[in-house]
Amino acid sequence: MLSGLFKRFTTKKNSRDDAKKRLQFSLIYDKLEVNDTTLTDLQQDIVDVISKYFEIDTDSLELKVKRDDNVSALVFNTPILHVKRKKT
Amino acid sequence: MEGKIIVVTSGKGGVGKTTATSSIGAALALEGNRVAIVDMDIGLRNLDVVMGLENRIVFNIVDVVQGRCKVEQAAIRDRRIENLFLIPASQSDNKDVLTTAGVERVAKQLRSKFDFIIMDSPAGIERGFENSVVSADEALVICTPDVSAVRDADRVIGLLYARSLNPKLIVNRIEPARVVRGEMLSHEDVLEVLSIDLVGLVPMDEKVLISSNTGTPLVLQNDSKAGMAFRQIARRLNGEEDLPIEMPVYKTSMWHKLSKTFGLKQ
Repeated sequence: MLSGLFKRFTTKKNSRDDAKKRLQFSLIYDKLEVNDTTLTDLQQDIVDVISKYFEIDTDSLELKVKRDDNVSALVFNTPILHVKRKKT
Repeated sequence: MEGKIIVVTSGKGGVGKTTATSSIGAALALEGNRVAIVDMDIGLRNLDVVMGLENRIVFNIVDVVQGRCKVEQAAIRDRRIENLFLIPASQSDNKDVLTTAGVERVAKQLRSKFDFIIMDSPAGIERGFENSVVSADEALVICTPDVSAVRDADRVIGLLYARSLNPKLIVNRIEPARVVRGEMLSHEDVLEVLSIDLVGLVPMDEKVLISSNTGTPLVLQNDSKAGMAFRQIARRLNGEEDLPIEMPVYKTSMWHKLSKTFGLKQ
């Protein structure tokens, strides 16, 4: 308890913690830097898969890497025109 | 004899790559190995002055790769340490004169003549880096506890992994007092961020500048903390893998604790 109390007084926010946090984030972002060919290839693959089940508007779809303070996400946006009937 | 090629890299410049290369090379020679240090920073050579051998250069690594001389002719014998040799960089050429194929050919010759070949890679991740890592059996990454050096180290580590090298980290210029004050990343912080094996911790040491001023080996100075740390690193590279890594003493003075508690200090 005493050490906990001591800690509360002593652990002030310092630049060392800032450095560590900023580094951890920037390293994650650095790795998420995807080049254009990878994105285009990925988009084509996704379109191929979705097209098996849905008819989609290939002209207005978009694929983006979205970055937030805490999370990064791959966002794929596409309008669906029709549901394809599964062939039996 | 089948020597081992160790490349020393960092990505960022100015973190102590040249000091680390010369010190580790010298220490490995003191352990009884035949060592060649190769300066791969073509156009910006430095190892020769740091090692105090600048007056004795006749041929350089470019001459060797391009077949103008033999390895033995370019390797300068150290003045103080037996079995330590330097193959200097060329000062007039451009980084692009060397090809990876050429370096690999020379690497084969070097392996047959030395126990350890330490390659000092230039800063950056371009051609000079490629040439330095192409024949490496092991890689060391040097980094200082600051955000730019750690970030660049991470990039270089990724590039080394891509070449199936498993790099080991040296954290250089640690200032324990500043770590305690919360002004500097600790080696644990750096390791956590980079998640890679550690091979040594080197404290900040004023003796480094002094030894480079005079071109004398840091590792021969018993009162140099950094020099001693590099000797330990060399022993680990020389097979004593279990040699414990000495932790810097993170001392918190009583006065510091007290003043912090009472809010006098940040």
